[in-house]
Amino acid sequence: MGSRARILGRRTAVLVVVLLQLGMVVRGYTADHKEFAFQMFSESSTWRADIVRVTADGRRIPVDEPWAGYEWDELVGDRGLRFAAVRHHADAGVDNQLAFLAAALDWLADNTPNDTETLYLEATVTYWRNTHAPETVVFRSHDRNVQAQ
Amino acid sequence: MNRFDHALGRLVSMRALALLRIPAGLIVVLHLRPFLDDARNGHIYRDAFTEPYAAWYPELPRSLYVAVLWLGVAAAIAMAAGLCTRLATATTFGVVAYNLFLSTTHMHNNRAYLVVVLALLAVAPCGRELSADAWIRRRQGKPPLDPSAPAWPLLLLRFEASVVYGASAVSKLVDPDWFGGNVTWDRTVRDRSDMFASGVPDWLVSILTDRDFHTFAAKVIVLTELFIAIGLWVRVTRYAAVWVAVCFHIAIELSASVQVFSLVAISALVIWAEPATRDRVVSFDPAVAAHRRLVAFVRPLDWLARFRLEPGSSGTPLRVVDRDGSEDTDVAAAVLVLSRLPVTAFFALPALLVFGRGHARARPKAVASGS
Repeated sequence: MGSRARILGRRTAVLVVVLLQLGMVVRGYTADHKEFAFQMFSESSTWRADIVRVTADGRRIPVDEPWAGYEWDELVGDRGLRFAAVRHHADAGVDNQLAFLAAALDWLADNTPNDTETLYLEATVTYWRNTHAPETVVFRSHDRNVQAQ
Repeated sequence: MNRFDHALGRLVSMRALALLRIPAGLIVVLHLRPFLDDARNGHIYRDAFTEPYAAWYPELPRSLYVAVLWLGVAAAIAMAAGLCTRLATATTFGVVAYNLFLSTTHMHNNRAYLVVVLALLAVAPCGRELSADAWIRRRQGKPPLDPSAPAWPLLLLRFEASVVYGASAVSKLVDPDWFGGNVTWDRTVRDRSDMFASGVPDWLVSILTDRDFHTFAAKVIVLTELFIAIGLWVRVTRYAAVWVAVCFHIAIELSASVQVFSLVAISALVIWAEPATRDRVVSFDPAVAAHRRLVAFVRPLDWLARFRLEPGSSGTPLRVVDRDGSEDTDVAAAVLVLSRLPVTAFFALPALLVFGRGHARARPKAVASGS
């Protein structure tokens, strides 16, 4: 590679990385997961949720109870979703936590094939953004095709 | 633009990156260990909730995924040792980055920073020193490879390092809850019972949970991060910023669970060393036991290759001639030397306030005068 091409390549690579990084930092103010935005210890927000399985016949069963060989705490991994019924800190901010919870409901709906009765999962979430008054939001997974399970 | 291109292409020592490569490799092993522990217990990431970034992102069969993690460990050890450094570093980066982008649930700030560090180490020739590769070349009688290279990977890594502090600071600065002290106060109050349980004295808990204290403390935290982000770029504040950064990370490590973040961030501080080697001369009297002890200490711990050690004639005081020609002697010289060694810098840098510049330091003599 010629010297001129090398200089241009170097310049381009550096500018791309710098702009990309600055873009990620700016994106962090609106994105749920804030990748490469380095917003650390951003909130003291807390949250809790009542999460139920709604069965095809209309029963609402808390996910605290194991079902069809599944347990909520084992299925949701380690992103702050265990012990959801207990009010606790949203480590990476409440938007991040709620996004994980909403996605986790869909993941559970798709990845519990032994469950032949749950139509969808629903979480009624109360969250406190820093020291502000509580707010409530309801998340619902997509419907499962129970008859096909 | 010419100045920009010149700065990117200027040949500088890669010593700091060679040094950073070693802890970075070991940190990768620590980083991958929980994934491998889970795998040993029969669990991998997709046995629990995951959220892929993209549907097209390749997911490996279970056994191959675990094998890739082990490949990452092997590559990281080779990277730390400097064995087939370029390949090992690129492989380490590839494995850690692949694993990070498998799922949004894998993303953490400390891992993002680790990936950035690995990416820039992978594109820099950081295996020509402090490496098994260099040792093997010596054993084969081959001349050493040029340890200098264009500065752009080092400058990019400096940019990324300062972004970590700067982005964190700005996000707190623009958030009235944070800058006003609500966030830290709320967190501390909620942790009050944990503080009592861990033996923190009552009077300290009382201070730490006082609302007014956090009105002040939040601003100190934000300004500290800003100072680190900016101070690292300014020559006169660089050492202070490095020292403050180490304190800052120790405080974070003691008060929060941040995985490998503190290790990555403290290790990465070596990149702020001037990228030139052997540009300070230490002259000493070999007949003086104290001089010999200092030299014996410096020789193996001068990991950034800052000093040329030159025995002087009998009666020579301990003297350090800095890169700008200024001189320090005796205690001031010893303190200056210790403040430039990575393992002693944290302890010796404050002593520079007493013994350093402006305190019995000989300024360089003018070498020419105009008429």
